[in-house]
Amino acid sequence: MKRVLGAALLAVGFMASTEASAACGKITIADMNWNSASLIANVDKFILTHGYGCEAELVPGDTMPTGTSMMEKGEPDIAPELWSNSMKEALDKAVAEKTLRIAGKSLSDGGEEGFWVPEYMVKKDPSLATIEGVLKNAKMFKHPEDPDKAAFVGCPAGWNCQISSGNLFRAMKMADAGFELIDPGSSAGLSGSIAKAYERGEGWFGYYWAPTAVLGKYKMVKVDFGSGVDFEHFTNCTTQNDCADPKPTMYPPSPVHTVTTEAFADKAPEAYAYLTRRSFKNAQMNSLLAWMEDNQAEGDIVMEEFLKNYEDTWTPWVSAEVAAKVKKALSEL
Amino acid sequence: MADASWLTEFPAMDRRDLTAIKKTLDGAYREFSRSYGDIIETFFDPLLYFLVWFEKLLINTPWWLMIIIVTAIVHLSARSWKLSAGVVVAFSLIGYFGMWDNTMRTMSIIFVCTLLSIVLGIPIGIAMARSNRVQAVVTPILDVMQTMPAFVYLIPVVMLLGIGKIPGVIAVVIYAIPPVIRLTNLGIRLVDKEVLEAATAYGANSSQRLWSVQMPLAMPTIMAGINQTIMMALAMVVVASMIGVKGLGQPVLKSITNQYFTLGLFNGLAIVALAIIFDRVSQAYAKRTQKHMEGMHSD
Repeated sequence: MKRVLGAALLAVGFMASTEASAACGKITIADMNWNSASLIANVDKFILTHGYGCEAELVPGDTMPTGTSMMEKGEPDIAPELWSNSMKEALDKAVAEKTLRIAGKSLSDGGEEGFWVPEYMVKKDPSLATIEGVLKNAKMFKHPEDPDKAAFVGCPAGWNCQISSGNLFRAMKMADAGFELIDPGSSAGLSGSIAKAYERGEGWFGYYWAPTAVLGKYKMVKVDFGSGVDFEHFTNCTTQNDCADPKPTMYPPSPVHTVTTEAFADKAPEAYAYLTRRSFKNAQMNSLLAWMEDNQAEGDIVMEEFLKNYEDTWTPWVSAEVAAKVKKALSEL
Repeated sequence: MADASWLTEFPAMDRRDLTAIKKTLDGAYREFSRSYGDIIETFFDPLLYFLVWFEKLLINTPWWLMIIIVTAIVHLSARSWKLSAGVVVAFSLIGYFGMWDNTMRTMSIIFVCTLLSIVLGIPIGIAMARSNRVQAVVTPILDVMQTMPAFVYLIPVVMLLGIGKIPGVIAVVIYAIPPVIRLTNLGIRLVDKEVLEAATAYGANSSQRLWSVQMPLAMPTIMAGINQTIMMALAMVVVASMIGVKGLGQPVLKSITNQYFTLGLFNGLAIVALAIIFDRVSQAYAKRTQKHMEGMHSD
């Protein structure tokens, strides 16, 4: 029944766009607490408000709380950048139960995860770009509390990557080389430790991900495990808590999705169709993030920059009529 | 119309100027951390060694010996069988539920933080009580310390000193020290003028008045301050773990991000148990010293 209704609405939406936009009404968009997500959320808000007549409001969010709230309460309506690996099972279930819908990929290349070392270290010793080189030179990565050990800065407590980075730590026998897995506690702690090492030219080895402003600002090199991506093993063992015998594998690109509630997709099919098309390339995102960092800009300011200067990117996402409305609103800013 | 816009909109600073200011200040801080970071880190090294040593001591002490020592301390200060039994039960449960090591880590860092807060806080409180000018300067600083969101100063500290124990201790002490300073100041200021005059009449000099009259009379208030300091230090455990301090805070963080309610509850309760033990011990100790004084008065 619901599906029939949805299809009918979708058809109506395509036929008479004005009626559909009138039905859009009040919607909430999760403004995640990292830069790229905040940028996308602001772009969505502007386009949905001015192009589709929605009353869009940004609400603060984070992957886990937002995802759970969308599944359980149907709020907020849109998560513009959800790293879906971190809640894969729950998300799959919610999609199957028709509470959530995956609209599309917000980052078309997917997110890039891995173990990184600063570029200046690799320049001095190119062998540090491989795991063998890092393990051999463990002494260069000083442990903050124990001079006899080397530090590998893992993923913050409770994040999904804590499991995968812990398993890879075991898989590559890093403890035997003198490394200890350090929990930075939060993403702020993790990026803070990178910043500290980078400003002083110290050794640093740890987990991070892209596209992020941190990797835009501090040039890092992804360490090659020499194993390639073993997708099968990665999903079945590396990301699992009870992985008995982890083997080295590089991180496969992680899917980064735009997720909406079924209710939103039902009531505003036109706006939903926009979300299915809205997608960024990593290179473009990195340059936007770097611009954001350079200007210490908030999401709403970089949104303006993006909509004004990257017209070729966003106009294909919307119809010509909507694009004209958005441009008009933009000129009134 | 553009001319009158300041009527409806606040005439804010130009965005570019604001950005320039922010960038200059951030750049200056980076420069500072680059040139002085190592020296400052060396300065804190002794404290770091002590923290690491003390944590290892607590973890490596056999659990039964640890329970005996803690219970003995509790019993000597509080003299209450009920409380001592409670301590044994609490620690046994903590160990049974697999939180022993983390509890020891938290206990070690909280103990050091409390000690530091008292050692730094009481002299500052005394200075505040003795000079109105010092009080006028210190009070707003204390207000800032108590209300400034911890992450605002945590991340700069991390950039300067890296993640781990030292930034954690700094954060906890900044947050937890105000009560002991405020209440030391208050306690000394509340001592009756007549009592002080009597002491002066007996020929007591300024330092005798402080140590033999004001401090003992202010002791109950100061103890209340210390007590609050301990509580606030324990409340900061989770925040400290966000910059890589090991202990009960990390499982709490983990449970928050993953919604493992039971894990969160267990570790939260372990923090509460530590707080109650610290609290009852300091309270009971304060009460006993007070009673002792009352006895002297009635004699």
